[in-house]
Amino acid sequence: MYRRNFIIIAVMIFAAFSCFGQQKISMCHFQFHSINNVGLLEGQAGSAFHLQTINGVQYKSWFTGAGVGLDSYRYRTIPLFLDIRKEFGKTPNKILLFGDAGINFYWARDRDVKQFYSNDKIKNGFYGELGAGYKFRLNAKMSIIFSGSYSYKTLEETGGDYYYNMPFFLPGAAAYSPVAERIHYNLNRVLLKVGVEF
Amino acid sequence: MKRMINTVQPFYIFQLMLLMLSGCMKDKITKTYQIRTPVYEVLSQFRESIKSQPAAEMSATGKIAVAGNYIFISELYKGIHVIDNSDPSHPKNASFINVPGNEDLAIINNTLYADAFGDLVTFDITDPLHAEAKNFAANVFPDHSIYYYSGADNVNPDSINVIIGWTVRDTTVDYEPGGSVYPVYYAANCANCATIAANLSSSVNTGNSGTSGSLSRFAILNDYLYAVSYSQLRSFDISNKFSPSYKNSFTVDWHVETIYPFKGKLFVGTNNGVYMYDAAASPSNPTPLGAFTHVRGCDPVVADDDYAYVTINDSSACLGFNNELQIVNVKDLNAPSLVQSYQLTHPVGLSKDGNLLFVCDSKDGLKIYNADNVNNLQLIRQMKDGEAVDVIAMNGLAIMIAADGLYQYDYSDINNIHLISKL
Repeated sequence: MYRRNFIIIAVMIFAAFSCFGQQKISMCHFQFHSINNVGLLEGQAGSAFHLQTINGVQYKSWFTGAGVGLDSYRYRTIPLFLDIRKEFGKTPNKILLFGDAGINFYWARDRDVKQFYSNDKIKNGFYGELGAGYKFRLNAKMSIIFSGSYSYKTLEETGGDYYYNMPFFLPGAAAYSPVAERIHYNLNRVLLKVGVEF
Repeated sequence: MKRMINTVQPFYIFQLMLLMLSGCMKDKITKTYQIRTPVYEVLSQFRESIKSQPAAEMSATGKIAVAGNYIFISELYKGIHVIDNSDPSHPKNASFINVPGNEDLAIINNTLYADAFGDLVTFDITDPLHAEAKNFAANVFPDHSIYYYSGADNVNPDSINVIIGWTVRDTTVDYEPGGSVYPVYYAANCANCATIAANLSSSVNTGNSGTSGSLSRFAILNDYLYAVSYSQLRSFDISNKFSPSYKNSFTVDWHVETIYPFKGKLFVGTNNGVYMYDAAASPSNPTPLGAFTHVRGCDPVVADDDYAYVTINDSSACLGFNNELQIVNVKDLNAPSLVQSYQLTHPVGLSKDGNLLFVCDSKDGLKIYNADNVNNLQLIRQMKDGEAVDVIAMNGLAIMIAADGLYQYDYSDINNIHLISKL
C-alpha cells in the first residue's frame, strides 16, 4: 500500500515539475504552485507545532500535489502525503476544501528514545487531513491561505521488554519469548494553519 | 489589509469553532498483548515423557559427565545428550534423554541421577541409548520445584498438574502512555510456577561412578549421592541404586555452587569460599571440617591429596570482581591456607590428572599447566579452539565442553597435545 502511494506521489511530483518547466508554453493548462503552511495542532495531548509544504499543479479550480511536513503531536513524525483541493468562488479570493492522505514517518526525539525499551520499534503509520480554508489573493503570484482541518495520524509501537517476567524454563515458554506487544496510536487533532501560496 | 481582514472574518469564526471542537478530540490508544494460558498435564502422565528420544541438537549445554564410552551432557532445563564416544576422534550424538527442568547429573555404574525441577529422577542406563526412568523422588529439591505448592505435603503425581505448554491469544485494551497496563501472562492458576534461577552441575567421584565436571552440584561418594543448591547440602542413600532415599539436609553457606568428592571428603564451593566435609564417618550427615574463604566470586573446585584448586571468576551471578586460580593447601583440612594465586581471564571449570592441571579460561580456551610446583605453575599448552566452560581430563583424554560444543584433546603425549574431535 505504501509503495502504491509512493508511486502516485512520485507521478504527481513529476507532473508538477514537468509543467513548472513548461509554464510559458500555452498548451500546458497546468500551473505549478507551492503552498507552505505553519500551524497549530490541538488535541487531547495538548498543542503542538505543525509545518508543511505542498507542491503540485493546479488545473482550473483543482489542485493536486505532494506534501511533506513536520508533526510534533505526541510523537514527532514526518508526514509525506498527497494533497487534493478544490476552490470555490468567482472572485479572486476563494473558499477551498482539501484532503490529504499519506504516510507518517516516525522521527524519534531524545525523550522518546529514553521512554522506550531497547527492543521497541515504532512503525510508520497513516496520515490524513480533511479541512476547509480561505485563500486571499495578495497579487497575481501570491496568496495567503487560512485553513482549519481535522487531522489524523497513526503509529504502531511494537516490542515491550517484559521477557524477564516470563518463566522461560517452563515447557513451551521459549517459543513465545520475547514477549511481543503492540501499542496502536490513533491520534485525532484539530489543525489550524496559515500559509502562503505562490 | 483592511479588505483582507473583512474578507476572512467569517473564516476566523470557522477557525474559532474548530478550536472549540478540539476539546472533543480524543486520542484512541490501545495496547495489544498476549494472554498466555498454561496447558496442564497430570504429573504422572508427564513423567511418561521422561525417557530417551532421538538425538537432539546441542544448544545450551551445561554439566558434563563421563561413564565408560559415553559422555552425558546436560541441555539446560531440557534433558541430557548422550554421546557415543567409543571413538573419541569421531564422537556421535547418539540420543537425548528428555528431562524437563534438568540442570545436573551424576552417574554410578548403570545408574544415572538427574534433577527434574524439584524431583530427583533415577535412570537405568544399562543401555545408555535407551535410558529408562526407574524412580522419581518427589520434591527433594524444593528450592527448584515448580510442580508443588511451597510447603505442601502433597506430592502425589496423580493429583498435581504440570505446565506442558501455553495457549496464546491476543487481547486489546485501552492504554495511556505512562500508565500501568502490563501484560498478563497467566490466565489460569499458576501458583506453583515458582521461578528458579541458578545453574547447577554434575560431579567427580569414586569407585565405579562416572566422572563429572568440576561445575557439578551432584557428587557420588560410596553409597551416597550429595546434592547442593543455594545454601543446602542434601544427602541421599543410594545403596539401593534405583531407589534413592533422602537422608539429610543442612545449610553450608549462601550461594553454594559446586561439590567435589575426593577420598571420603567433600569440597563445597560457594561464592565466599570452599567448605570441606568429612563424609566417611557419617555419610548421611557429613561432618564440617575447615573452610577457606576468599573474595566473592564463582568458584568451582577440584582437589588432590595436598591441594585444592579453586577458580574464581567475576560472573555477575556471583557478584565477583576477580578472575584467578587459587591453590589452597588442604593437607590439614581443618586449617586450609592459600598457597598461591594466578591471574586468569575468566576461569571456569577445571580438572586435575596427575601433575597436569587443566583450566577452562572461557574465551582464552583450555590452559594446561604442569602443577608439579604449585608455587610456580608452568603453562604447557593453551588450546584456543572454543570458549571453554568445563573439562574432564583422564587417561590422556581431555573432554571439554565449550559454548559451541564438545571438544576432545589427546594429551597422552604432553609434547603433542592436540585436538582430536569437535562435536
